[in-house]
Amino acid sequence: MANFMESYVSLFQERSDLLFNSFWEHVQLSLVSLLIAVAIALPIGILLTRYNRYSEWIIGFAAVLQTIPSLALLGFLVLFAGIGTTPAIIALTAYALLPILRNTYTGIREVDPAIVEAARGMGMNSYRSLMKIELPLAMQTIMAGIRTSMVLIVGTATLAALVGGGGLGQIIMTGIQRTNNEYILFGALPAALLAIVLDVILRLTERGTKRNRHASSKPIIAVVAIALVIVLIQPVVSMFKDESDLVIGGKLGPEPPILANMYKLLIEEETDLNVEVIAPLGATNVNFNALIVGDVDIYPEFSGTVLADLLNEEEFSYDEEESYQEARDGIYEEYGFHFLEPMGFQNTYALAMPRELAEELEVSTISDLMPYTNELSVGFTFEFMDREDGYAGFEDVYEFSFSDVTSIDVSTRYQAISNGSIDISDVFSTDPQLVEYDMVVLEDDEDLFPPYQAAPLVTNVALQQHPEIEEILNQLAGIGTIEEISELNFRVDLEDEDPEEVARDFLVEQGLLDN
Amino acid sequence: MSEEMRGTVSVITFNQVDKSFTEDRKAVKGLSFTIERGEFFVLIGPSGCGKTTTLKMINRLIDASSGTITINGSNHTDVNMHELRWNIGYVLQQIALFPHLTVAENIAVVPEMKKWKQDDIQKRVNELLELVGMDPDTYRDRLPADLSGGQQQRVGVARALAGDPDIILMDEPFSALDPLVREQLQKDIKKLQQRIKKTIVFVTHDMNEATLLGDRIGMMEAGVLLQVGTADELKRNPATPAVEAFIGRSFEQKNLSLKESLIPTDRSEYIRTHRDEQRVTVQFIINEHGEWITTFNDHNELEAMIPIDASSSVKSAFELLESSHLPALPVQENGKVIGSVSYKDLARALV
Repeated sequence: MANFMESYVSLFQERSDLLFNSFWEHVQLSLVSLLIAVAIALPIGILLTRYNRYSEWIIGFAAVLQTIPSLALLGFLVLFAGIGTTPAIIALTAYALLPILRNTYTGIREVDPAIVEAARGMGMNSYRSLMKIELPLAMQTIMAGIRTSMVLIVGTATLAALVGGGGLGQIIMTGIQRTNNEYILFGALPAALLAIVLDVILRLTERGTKRNRHASSKPIIAVVAIALVIVLIQPVVSMFKDESDLVIGGKLGPEPPILANMYKLLIEEETDLNVEVIAPLGATNVNFNALIVGDVDIYPEFSGTVLADLLNEEEFSYDEEESYQEARDGIYEEYGFHFLEPMGFQNTYALAMPRELAEELEVSTISDLMPYTNELSVGFTFEFMDREDGYAGFEDVYEFSFSDVTSIDVSTRYQAISNGSIDISDVFSTDPQLVEYDMVVLEDDEDLFPPYQAAPLVTNVALQQHPEIEEILNQLAGIGTIEEISELNFRVDLEDEDPEEVARDFLVEQGLLDN
Repeated sequence: MSEEMRGTVSVITFNQVDKSFTEDRKAVKGLSFTIERGEFFVLIGPSGCGKTTTLKMINRLIDASSGTITINGSNHTDVNMHELRWNIGYVLQQIALFPHLTVAENIAVVPEMKKWKQDDIQKRVNELLELVGMDPDTYRDRLPADLSGGQQQRVGVARALAGDPDIILMDEPFSALDPLVREQLQKDIKKLQQRIKKTIVFVTHDMNEATLLGDRIGMMEAGVLLQVGTADELKRNPATPAVEAFIGRSFEQKNLSLKESLIPTDRSEYIRTHRDEQRVTVQFIINEHGEWITTFNDHNELEAMIPIDASSSVKSAFELLESSHLPALPVQENGKVIGSVSYKDLARALV
């Protein structure tokens, strides 16, 4: 525990800039979304009490919005709103509508009918009765709805990172990606703190409206004004940012941001273009949708993903050259995107073992393992056990199997190898832990695993406007081995280095960039 | 409303007014009656008879389906509805003070809508609180929840009077209060009305309340106004058997409460354990167990006289008083005397 605290504190000292920026973005995202949600749901909720024929439909619609899985909604919104804060704000607002709408509606409807009748009987018109009697009496219920929405928003806003919306989600996602608990808490604790602080502010506002009877709306106006000021002081980063000439995306994990920065460095080295990297940016669907709407011009993609996920091919070649060509031609035909020349490494399933053991047994390919099937203990992840391009199809291709195979969880496989409880596991061929635990990837000499070659996926528009980037990015063709890339990933993931610096070092080393 | 209009004697006139909430059932039908200026007019009838509907048609909380309602000489649908209501005070059965507003703010609601000056409003609030018997300095800034039920309805009455309306509507205003408080408020509202001379339309289902308060009483049943007249007229010349039945029922209900009208043994001037030779009034002598032994009147022992049972009706108590020529009777329960009852006690129970 003391150890954990220490590393937490040192993380805080090293990355306080990142924390403050992310925190600020998170506050702005949350407040903008909450203000918009209140501005939409409060008047509608009030209107529904006047025309309650439609109330069930509209509240039902808000409820449906809330049931849409957030990841799906965000990926989908990229198609309409692009990447950045806009889709995040739309999604957060959509989630926040229901509690405010429902509590406004029921809060007003549940005001004692006799009191409403008294107000009408004394000659108040509908508006006056609403402002002077019904809203103040429903305020507690309405504020409870707003507080519920606020907690919902602050929590869900962590997903904004997936669409380039920034916020504390960037830190949390990185932590999850690296299974690094300090990092997760580094982002999650401020988010929780933010939720608590905002809740307290809203509670105090509510109490203030009650205590100060003669100015019942003053505290609310004050809080809304402060919120507006916070939102407007420093507009949410990417909303009003200078347009760059090219935007490069990239998925979660250490590798895509490194590759994206390589593209950026090379392009900026040889042209006058202003290039922006927005990575990590969610999963495949977010990056690809962003490419479709043109918010992102380039992102590093894998040939296997293009074939299996983007083109939905069920069968494709396992030969490196052929599968790359299939992917390149397919994605151009269907979407008009250019899949440029692939680099030298593959990020695919692989079998790996400690270097020491491999050298001792003189093993370098999977076929070399055949004599040791009874001696080696093997641990495979659940998904790998099940896949045709995993252990399920292993025996058909290699014509042998292991006698001692156990199932293990993804997160524990490296520990299991390092403490000696297993000798071999499935990995991704550029995992940074391969460097950390000094392991070697065995060559897939019989082509069990489909090729996952990394190459820039570029829109047609970008390439037409800047035809020179094709040649610039193709300098990366054939460059980088799995060992080299694992090393880069290790530096970012476990040494917490800046992806841009890591990319620069690599390019300099490769002679593609002057020092 | 103009001074000229104030001059007319009748304030509210219903002319052939119908109201139906559903197509096949009329809540009220063929209502035609007139309420005079300064009159305390009571609408009475069993629940569901349409009396509250009739009341709410006056301030248009409910609009008539057909017929006309005239207020101060003009059809009340020709006037701005909200302004009409500013000039008609409204007191609800549920009291319904605005719980988030202070007593003063509750009373100020209509004057504020009438855009009175703040000074005038505050003066008016104090004046009204005094009028309903509440100390302004003590109660102005309290919230309704800090008041007793009786105090709340006093504020309810003050709130209805605040805009200096011509007419005040009261929808069973005292029925939610406990009997003692109700009695006090009934007395106070009667006095108040005699002082301020407002036209009051008052709905109740309690004949005693109607008798006590109403200058005239309108008796309704099943949406129809059966008879309008003073309490005396209704009792002596009921227009229909239904009126007679309702009035009869009302008193019978009251007759069940002999036990409530008696004076308990320890406070009764008639009951004692030993005869007092000096007294000439009737004396009921009881033993240490509370059992009746004998009765003395004018130095004579009345052996024939026996106590009346507590479960007897007021009517039979009254008859027994008449036949015995005594000012009071001992009342017993389970063989023990629990108190005495006199003409005075019975009369109090009736009002």
